[in-house]
Amino acid sequence: MYVELHSRSAFSFLEGASIPEELVAVCANLGMPAMALLDRDGVYGSPRFHLAAKKARIKAHIGAEVTVASGQWSVVRSSGPMPRLALRPFERHVGVEESSGLVLTTDHWPLATEFRLPLLVASRTGYQNLCRLITKMKLRAGHKEGAFASDLDFIEYADGLICLTGGEEGPLAAALKQGGPQAAFEAVKRLAEIFGRSNVGQSNVYVELQRHFRREEEYRNRVAIEIAEALRLPLLATNGVNYSTPRERELADAFTALRHHRTLATAGRLLAPNADRYLKSPAAMRTLFADFPNAIANTVELSSRLEFTLNDLGYEFPRYPVPEGETMMSFLRERTREGMQNRYGREDAELKKRARRQIERELSLIEKLKLAGYFLIVWDLVRFCREQKILAQGRGSAANSAVCYSLGITAVDPIGMELLFERFLSEERGEWPDIDLDLPSGDERERVIQYVYQRYGPRGAAMTANVITYRNRMAAREMGKALGFDPETLKRISAAVATWEFKDENDALDRRLRDAGLDLTHPRIRKYFELCLAAQDLPRHLGQHSGGMVICEGRLDSVVPLEPASMPGRVVVQWDKEDCADMGIIKVDLLGLGMMAALKDSLELIRNHYHEEVDLAHLPADDPVVYSTLQKADTVGMFQVESRAQMACLPRLRPQRFYDIVVQVAIIRPGPIVGNMVNPFLKRRQGREAVTYPHPSLETVLGRTLGVPLFQEQLLRMAMITANFTGGEAEELRRAMGFKRSEARMKPIEEKLRAGMTRNGICGETQEQIIQSITSFALYGFPESHAASFALIAYASAYLKCHYLAAFTAALLNNQPMGFYHPATIVKDAQRHGLKMLPMDVTRSDWKCSLETVASCQLSVASKGKGMQDVENLAVRLGLKYARGLREPAGQALVRERSLAPFASVQDLARRVPELRKDELTTLAEIGALNAVASGQWSVASTNQSEEFVGLSTAHGPLSTASFHRRDALWQVERAVRWPGPLLDELPEIDGESPLAAMTDEERLVADFRATGLTVGPHPMQYRRAEMKRMGIYRASDLAHLPNGRRLRIGGCVIARQRPGTAKGMMFMSLEDETGIANAIVAPDLLQKNRVLLISERFLMIEGILQNQDNVIHIRAEKVSPLRVTRAETASHDFH
Amino acid sequence: MFACIFIPDFSVQTIIRFEPELRACPVAVLTGRPPLKKVMALNERARQTGVEVGATKSQLEAWENLVLRTRSESQETSAHAALLDCAQSFSPEVEDTSPGTVLLNLAGLETLLGPLPKIAHDLAQRVSQLGLEANLAVAANPDAALLAARGFSGVTLIPAGREAERLGDLPVEVLLESFSSDVEEGARWVETFDRWGIRKLRALAALPELPVSERLGQQGLRLQRLARGAASRNLRVLEPRLIFAESVELEYPIVLLEPLAFLLNRMLEQVCARLRQRALAVQELHLNLEFATTRPDGCASFARTLTQTFTRTLPLPTPMLDAKVFLKLLQLDLQAHPPGAPIAKIHLSADPARPRVLQSGLFQPIFPEPEKLELTLARITGIVGEGRVGSVELLDTHREGAFAVRHFAPAEPEVKHEVKPSGKRKKDMFVPENDRVCELEEEKPEENAKENAQEKMSAVIALRLFRPPLGATVTLREAKPVRMRCREREDIAGEIVWTAGPWRSSGDWSEQEGWSREEWDIAVPAKSSCQLPVPSCQSDKRERTMELILYRLVQDKLSGNWFVEGTYD
Repeated sequence: MYVELHSRSAFSFLEGASIPEELVAVCANLGMPAMALLDRDGVYGSPRFHLAAKKARIKAHIGAEVTVASGQWSVVRSSGPMPRLALRPFERHVGVEESSGLVLTTDHWPLATEFRLPLLVASRTGYQNLCRLITKMKLRAGHKEGAFASDLDFIEYADGLICLTGGEEGPLAAALKQGGPQAAFEAVKRLAEIFGRSNVGQSNVYVELQRHFRREEEYRNRVAIEIAEALRLPLLATNGVNYSTPRERELADAFTALRHHRTLATAGRLLAPNADRYLKSPAAMRTLFADFPNAIANTVELSSRLEFTLNDLGYEFPRYPVPEGETMMSFLRERTREGMQNRYGREDAELKKRARRQIERELSLIEKLKLAGYFLIVWDLVRFCREQKILAQGRGSAANSAVCYSLGITAVDPIGMELLFERFLSEERGEWPDIDLDLPSGDERERVIQYVYQRYGPRGAAMTANVITYRNRMAAREMGKALGFDPETLKRISAAVATWEFKDENDALDRRLRDAGLDLTHPRIRKYFELCLAAQDLPRHLGQHSGGMVICEGRLDSVVPLEPASMPGRVVVQWDKEDCADMGIIKVDLLGLGMMAALKDSLELIRNHYHEEVDLAHLPADDPVVYSTLQKADTVGMFQVESRAQMACLPRLRPQRFYDIVVQVAIIRPGPIVGNMVNPFLKRRQGREAVTYPHPSLETVLGRTLGVPLFQEQLLRMAMITANFTGGEAEELRRAMGFKRSEARMKPIEEKLRAGMTRNGICGETQEQIIQSITSFALYGFPESHAASFALIAYASAYLKCHYLAAFTAALLNNQPMGFYHPATIVKDAQRHGLKMLPMDVTRSDWKCSLETVASCQLSVASKGKGMQDVENLAVRLGLKYARGLREPAGQALVRERSLAPFASVQDLARRVPELRKDELTTLAEIGALNAVASGQWSVASTNQSEEFVGLSTAHGPLSTASFHRRDALWQVERAVRWPGPLLDELPEIDGESPLAAMTDEERLVADFRATGLTVGPHPMQYRRAEMKRMGIYRASDLAHLPNGRRLRIGGCVIARQRPGTAKGMMFMSLEDETGIANAIVAPDLLQKNRVLLISERFLMIEGILQNQDNVIHIRAEKVSPLRVTRAETASHDFH
Repeated sequence: MFACIFIPDFSVQTIIRFEPELRACPVAVLTGRPPLKKVMALNERARQTGVEVGATKSQLEAWENLVLRTRSESQETSAHAALLDCAQSFSPEVEDTSPGTVLLNLAGLETLLGPLPKIAHDLAQRVSQLGLEANLAVAANPDAALLAARGFSGVTLIPAGREAERLGDLPVEVLLESFSSDVEEGARWVETFDRWGIRKLRALAALPELPVSERLGQQGLRLQRLARGAASRNLRVLEPRLIFAESVELEYPIVLLEPLAFLLNRMLEQVCARLRQRALAVQELHLNLEFATTRPDGCASFARTLTQTFTRTLPLPTPMLDAKVFLKLLQLDLQAHPPGAPIAKIHLSADPARPRVLQSGLFQPIFPEPEKLELTLARITGIVGEGRVGSVELLDTHREGAFAVRHFAPAEPEVKHEVKPSGKRKKDMFVPENDRVCELEEEKPEENAKENAQEKMSAVIALRLFRPPLGATVTLREAKPVRMRCREREDIAGEIVWTAGPWRSSGDWSEQEGWSREEWDIAVPAKSSCQLPVPSCQSDKRERTMELILYRLVQDKLSGNWFVEGTYD
């Protein structure tokens, strides 16, 4: 028998070429009882390795190769007599020269360069030591510096670890290369001193032998054997595995080239000499080491010594500090009671009674599961947010909990909404609850994260990692680099490889590479293609998860190694979110939600400019303007209800109360769409179909959704009612059918479900129907609680848009990117609603978009509808952040300097704000942001200059700047940036008038889109409307008045392309013109014929059949052609 | 007045020049290394079909009628030479501006060749006869003529004083393409002018000078002057190429090398004498032999029907001027590459260069004279063949024995101004891995003594390679060679009594010339050989002394063939 105890996976980033699961699968096939994974400087792949091994019934040994640098390791020469290593003469010729005869005069032998020390974990102490050792070396390293351990670190953390002498990158090989056999002897001796022996006298150092059929390796083995004999250390055969099968050697070579920033052609001897670092069978290894059977036998003996597995992680969630005399549970009860008073105090007695009963039930379960600490910690976070006036709202299944609601973690009343607690927490499941907090993205979220670090200590909390894996585009790019493709070709390949969510045979990688102009019949390109496929899903590097945080009682660095994140002040664990969950590490997701930030900014703007205080928790529940806007699908910018698909559903669903928004948020999801739940529900909603139930007993569960299951909670309740499942069993059913669907896991549960139903007399077709409806959307279904949390934010965003359009629009623009549309679309939508958008102006604009009071302004349509509130006429001034390439420090410096004194001229501006570079000033001039400054400069106004946006009231800047055009400013900038020196600095320009002609409309458009990505002037289509009319192109606003089935043409700027995985290859496009947005559906065959056109053209004309069903308007495209409107680089939000 | 000849799409036109039938076809010229060849130039017809520069070869599959050709630098060179020739036939002052662009001074030619329109017309016609379609422009200064030729198709005549008016319609891109040497810089200018709304030269010309100078500096002013057609400069006149050539037409054909050498000697002496007069030496020698044709009746004709030619070129590492050496070199070359037919005409030409001047140091070792060295190398090449003489350079690869042969050229001796006796010295270090000489390593002098002692103590076993490796037949047992027989050397055969290995290596899998091999070190009993203490098989630790020969046995894993690659000392 043989156990492979030295292997690397692809988690040794760019060194191994197989994922842990593959290694385990091959190991199981070869009949090995155990295996060890030693990735470079980490245990990144160990959870996946552990779980895969568990499934394959193999023992997974954990370890790591730790990098040691030159100068951080010294081998102290022993005082006693040194044994001379006498190599036999013939063996000498195959290796390096023997230096045993040399008399050394120094007491230290610094080892050559860096080397890797392979360490295996024997016990939990050993694991903790390994984690701390890695953490220490990682956190010690500077930014973008390599992390190295020193011999002192090993002395500190040696307990419980077993050390190998390594292969060609190990300490023995390094010493041998540097100082010959004697140095190698000293190096191993030093290891033996550091790692010592176990309590029963077994050595903790194994002298490793590897045989990859290389001469120099054999020489090293001979030296190693003699050292082992001299020091009485056991030998250990390993294969230094880098990949599971020989064919992966090619990928490993490509990774090597990438790691060294070379190509395969120039990497030379950095590449592997052969393909023998694969997982070999025990029989092959026995044959290979037939002359050293003890080296093979020792692998089994050492494997038996390695007691530790990741089952024994020793993780404990932190205890919350409570006042003297209190327990965590009593403290939680008290906080919940207070919260309940606050939440339900004013509710009716019946609801109060139900709430009290539910809360008591939840608290009992929390006590039983010893989760009080967890709830208190999340409560503490929410409390911190409240104190700091940071909007925070729990999302996900936590909204099912009345305790969470009472503690203020969530904002949805689970009792009032009859939400199912078991979806959140159950005794049977044996899993930690999952509480996610939505926070405003940006600084405020960062403050909360820093609070967690500060509260639990730098070693007590960390962000979860995000393992970046090779996907098509990255694989194509990197493998192209390895093969030495030129940058232009790589760029073309990257562009061609971008794929949509929906993939058909035309989206296969080979097809995409052909599109990029590569000839796949050429052997070299074929090899490239194979490499791209082989690299798929392999980890590339470690990133940081957007919000997942793990906290630990004691030291988190004893559970998993920590690393510095790229953002200062943050540390990240070596495992991703899924791995943490799999290892039973509890996490809190602190998710940054752009809309939360936009809401918070809106409230501030409302306070400062409307002089009103809006409380999101107490918005009017049934605002008619909000519902009428939703019914019209006039929802650009609103949270969760703005997408094209949502807009297509809103006029049919016609929301009339809050619960309708909950349904609306949940219904446009893959689950209901794939399960064909959407149309039946909408038909029933419109009264076109009778409401029926699969079984009368389900009426209470499905009543709210008209007999159609839409939420995960309904699935659980259906199982509970029809098959008498407990809450926990029902949740288990959901998970079995969920993301990691497994036949083996699902089968017994389904049998149980059927048996339960049969017992309750539900048989035959009804049973099948229920099972069908459960299974169809379990995979992608949305929890009702989560939908309700989102619906609250959706309602708030809709309310603010309808009533405070200026503030909401400014806040939206300040928190981009977010949502479905580009800022250009948001601006145009706001303008169509009557909002005045002011162009960027360095004399007025702040860094962010701001509100300004203007003389005459049309109020929003919504406000008009309400009776024309006579609030001050507010307009949105575009912020400096929208000037592309303008750095924030320069922008802020400009605003700061302006507050001291206005700028007298462009030259004055350039001199007083030296942070501004030439390109930044040019950009500002190009978009007209310097017009006002330039106008102050010339007393003699060139009044005959053409004006900007003549006759276009919505887009004008102040009239005073109108006679100065952008090129006047550009002319001035060009002079201002060339400082003539102190002598001539004050010399006025002799002939100051600019000789340049004003920009044409087209030039302004081009400049606006190039420098800001949007225009506050007229829509590009408006300039060409007469021409469009001649071409028979209808405006978007015309479509509502045309009969269904009519053949017509629409045209506009493509603002969104989408090819959802659930739409059978259909592509949905949104075309915008000056009147609104028109939607088109492109069938797969038409898409295939006009692929390049449809994907790359900015303006399109689409001819097809108008479909108007229940005010949902689409054009079913039959013919597409490009439309020449402008050269401006408008952008489309394409969902790849 | 100055004229400019500009050949648009020069790369394409040079190809069409040799394949006139392509004139009516869309043609794209490709460049780059296969399989990533890309379009670098197009003719107008190809542009009209929608093909773009930068498209890859497989992307062009959609264009059925598109003719693809690989760029030919030699054709471009000859086309350009023809263009220069044509220009020089009109004017003695010609500037070789860039490939496909030539400027010539027409001053004073009117009396000789007629009025300017006629000269322009004749010039255009002559270029057309060369198989090239040119734009031709005549203007009062060279840059205006150049701009007009690049901007306007056909023949353009700009009367003096109307340059700004005529050039005004040209886009600024033409100006920057013509006068901006740096592509990035050109793009920056285009961007600036685009921002200013300046698209035509007229607009640039109209800007006030002082503000332009304040904003764009002297370079901006220069561009403006060019845009106005007001820049004046002298032509960088192409000096007439000095031709050092001798030709002999023979009454009777020469068949043997000896009489040919006699004639060559005379010709070489003449050429060398002319070069010596001008203090020049020879950089390259060209020998062109024309063969006599045979009449159908079998009689050799020396009349004037000469068709076939034979050309040899001798590049020299340094300029030389020794007729005897040249003669010897030519003789050696002709011995290696015999003409193969009776010779009717001999044409010998030499490319001139400045002679080599070298001051040797008093304490520097004397290197062989380049002339002699080159002669020696030529002699060796004549014996062993081309590509087999030079400096061997090891390649960075695991491939056994991979090397490249570079032309041998001794490095110029390094002049050391100061010699420190205690300074570091460089020493070659021998690392047996892959039997290669590795990088030089600096070591302390005091360590050298120890190193030397160590070198003496350690015995390094050498491998003597058979070049080429000897094919062998090998019998295997349990995947190990047990018997071998060399097909080409009967003495290399026998039972294999000891093996070490296999040593595996493979590589270049991404290339077509991928390789994979297994090496075995084997011992075969010999009748008479040195006695070696040989370690026994791995399983048997005893040592015994036998008369054995050690070989390196190699199997090419791709072909399955066995070879004996060498023997160990």
